[in-house]
Amino acid sequence: MSRVNLEITLGILLVLITSSVILFYGLREEERMAEYKAWEKARSIEVGAELFSAQCSRCHGTQGLGIVGLCPPLNDRYFFDDRLADVEWSGTMEDYIVATVSSGRMASTRPQLYPGEGTPAMPSFHENYGGPLREDQVRSIAAFILNWEETAQLIEVATGPVEDAVGTDITVELPEGDAAKGEALAVSIGCAACHIQAPTGPAWLADSGQAGIGERAAQRIADPDYTGNAQTAEQYLLESIVMPGVYMVPDYQDLMPNNYGDTLAKQDVADLIAYMLTLK
Amino acid sequence: MLRNANLQDLRKKIGGMIDQRVRAITAGLSLNELRALVRGEPPTEKPNPRYKVHTTSFLFHIRPRYYERGSTIFAHTFRLGFFTSFFFFVEVITGLILMVYYTPSPSEAYNSILKLMTNVPFGQMLRDIHRLGAEGMVIFTTLHMLRTFFTGSYKKERSFTWLTGVALLGITLFLSFSGYLLPWDQLAYWAVTIGTSMAEAAPVFGNEVNLLMRGSPDIAANGLLRFYLLHVVLMPFAAILVISIHYYKVSREHGISLPAKYIEGDVAPGVAKEAKTRIDFLPDLLTHEVFLTALGLLALVLGVTVFGYHAPLENIADPQVTPLDTKAPWYFWWLQGMLKLGDKSLMGIVLPTIIVAILVGVPYIDRNPHRSLYKRPLAVSLGLVAVLALIVLSYMGLPQYGIKTSAATRIVQDLAPQEGAGPVHLIPYNQLQSGVYEVNQSPDRNLCPEVDYGCPELESVFGSYTERVNNAINVGDLPAANAVMLIEDWQQDLKKVTFRIIWEEDEQSKTYERHLYLHRERGAE
Repeated sequence: MSRVNLEITLGILLVLITSSVILFYGLREEERMAEYKAWEKARSIEVGAELFSAQCSRCHGTQGLGIVGLCPPLNDRYFFDDRLADVEWSGTMEDYIVATVSSGRMASTRPQLYPGEGTPAMPSFHENYGGPLREDQVRSIAAFILNWEETAQLIEVATGPVEDAVGTDITVELPEGDAAKGEALAVSIGCAACHIQAPTGPAWLADSGQAGIGERAAQRIADPDYTGNAQTAEQYLLESIVMPGVYMVPDYQDLMPNNYGDTLAKQDVADLIAYMLTLK
Repeated sequence: MLRNANLQDLRKKIGGMIDQRVRAITAGLSLNELRALVRGEPPTEKPNPRYKVHTTSFLFHIRPRYYERGSTIFAHTFRLGFFTSFFFFVEVITGLILMVYYTPSPSEAYNSILKLMTNVPFGQMLRDIHRLGAEGMVIFTTLHMLRTFFTGSYKKERSFTWLTGVALLGITLFLSFSGYLLPWDQLAYWAVTIGTSMAEAAPVFGNEVNLLMRGSPDIAANGLLRFYLLHVVLMPFAAILVISIHYYKVSREHGISLPAKYIEGDVAPGVAKEAKTRIDFLPDLLTHEVFLTALGLLALVLGVTVFGYHAPLENIADPQVTPLDTKAPWYFWWLQGMLKLGDKSLMGIVLPTIIVAILVGVPYIDRNPHRSLYKRPLAVSLGLVAVLALIVLSYMGLPQYGIKTSAATRIVQDLAPQEGAGPVHLIPYNQLQSGVYEVNQSPDRNLCPEVDYGCPELESVFGSYTERVNNAINVGDLPAANAVMLIEDWQQDLKKVTFRIIWEEDEQSKTYERHLYLHRERGAE
């Protein structure tokens, strides 16, 4: 076999191998594109999570549970199921989120519950409307919020004063508290929105270098910088719930609603305090 | 009888017509001649029609009529020049197709790559081949130059060819570099920012050059458009022009150089004579080229499939966020390494200019008439020193070298880099069990008893975290450090991982903290 023949034969063989590799690769193309799409969506959610905690969590809560008297919950069954119909929005959920995040809100749609931060109730976030974010970043935030859709619970908000309200006298006699009930309450009335790993409120759970809220409450009243009137840990916690502005933990702002004295019953507060005291 | 004769006539007539057409298309080769050609048989007519093609056909007139046998020895050329041009053609073809899907604007560029990846069959393969071909072209151009240097093939009549080769090296590097920005991801954006900032070092007009390339003080829409146009118009045209000159010199003027031993060595006269016998382009060189092309294509396709080479795509470019460990493309690491050694103008402009001047001047500086390795020890040893220096400087160009990052940042960055995948990203999702893992407090094995098969990857990451922190404590970088790794359930299919290191410095407590979010679909299975 001459060299020319050999090279032609081998060349044909190589071309056949190349073609079959491409063919086999091609059989998986649909699957690969679908995988990449899922991967890209996952990346968008990750990016959105980071942006949400930097831009949105201060008002809407770290877990999107909302803050009564400030901003509505997003991690909320109502938000996903009925919100669009209530505001008569004609587009998709994603459009709604992107539009709201992009241009903000001049006035709140539910001023009694969630007045926002005044005017505008919600600032605009898209760079085209004077905000800090690019289009893709706004879309990532939307992807992150939409990822709550399947797991969101209905958030119920106590609106008016309740019977047997605890009031704002911190020396009041409280009934026996149930820590387990308090833990459930902490989620359903939205404490957890801010008081876990959060930029909004001091975290309750123990973390490296810092004890849990139960232990800190007792230490705090002995702190010379403390400006409240509590004499015991229980009183300190009660005071922090019903009169959050009396003493501010350093580095935090006064964002907590100040009407819990009216909306929480004595038993509820007792349960909450019992729960918090277990967090050493 | 009559009918048969007519049929024969007809066949002859038709045969003649076909032959005429074939000759018109092949610029003079008959059907028989073509047959003989692909069978490797001698020419069928006299004078040899295979030579005539080289004057009658445009495509063949730029090809050589023959090379000398000795110059085609594999161990002499390693086919480096051939593969360089092979990669160039691959780049042109894949690049033209990629242009169909690409939009050169900051708001669309990244999206158009995503669409290419998620919506275009073979889109990823196309991109991977284009990227791999670019790497190949840079590598083969450099190797081709080194080969030419060490075989002394740049001397005398070949000195101008060397000069065009040096120009081609620069064009290749700039082609590759200008394409780097186009995906508009963090990797691209910051690599090009670093690359263009080197131009800033030039005295007097540095800022202007930088501004001209970037289009504005920072790379934005104008800069992207400029790099795009450089990449798809100016540089390819420049490359085609200079490649044509370079190739024409080799193919039609002086040929590939013979290995020095046939000219200067003590070989038997018969051997030297044999080395100078001709290998015709048709059919030998042509079939060899076709064979090499098939080989190169297979290598590229295997590279992006079986060997899993993929063009990277990181997060979309963000001019506000400089990721840690940004670096120039690898073929400019040597320049980054030099910049760490001294003054920006001296190292970034003066020395590189001198280096280019030396490269250009090699044939004129080196007046030694000999080509054999043994007869020019100085040139060869200087060449070796230059190669070593290139490697060492490239190493020094890495961001890990010579740049002081705080120990805590370094540890976390190595485990969970801001861009690209690190050990933490490779932990399978189901092993990310929420909890607080505290260095020197949590057990170092059996971290997650709830998982049936345990969590070896999580344990190994936590193990190396523990080890790195303890090392840093021992050498005094992180006195009295308290380090945790915190994993939280954040959302459906989403975990939040926090690394927090608190240490004492100057009697103050310092904290380094980094959060990352990991989605189920992104992790390893």
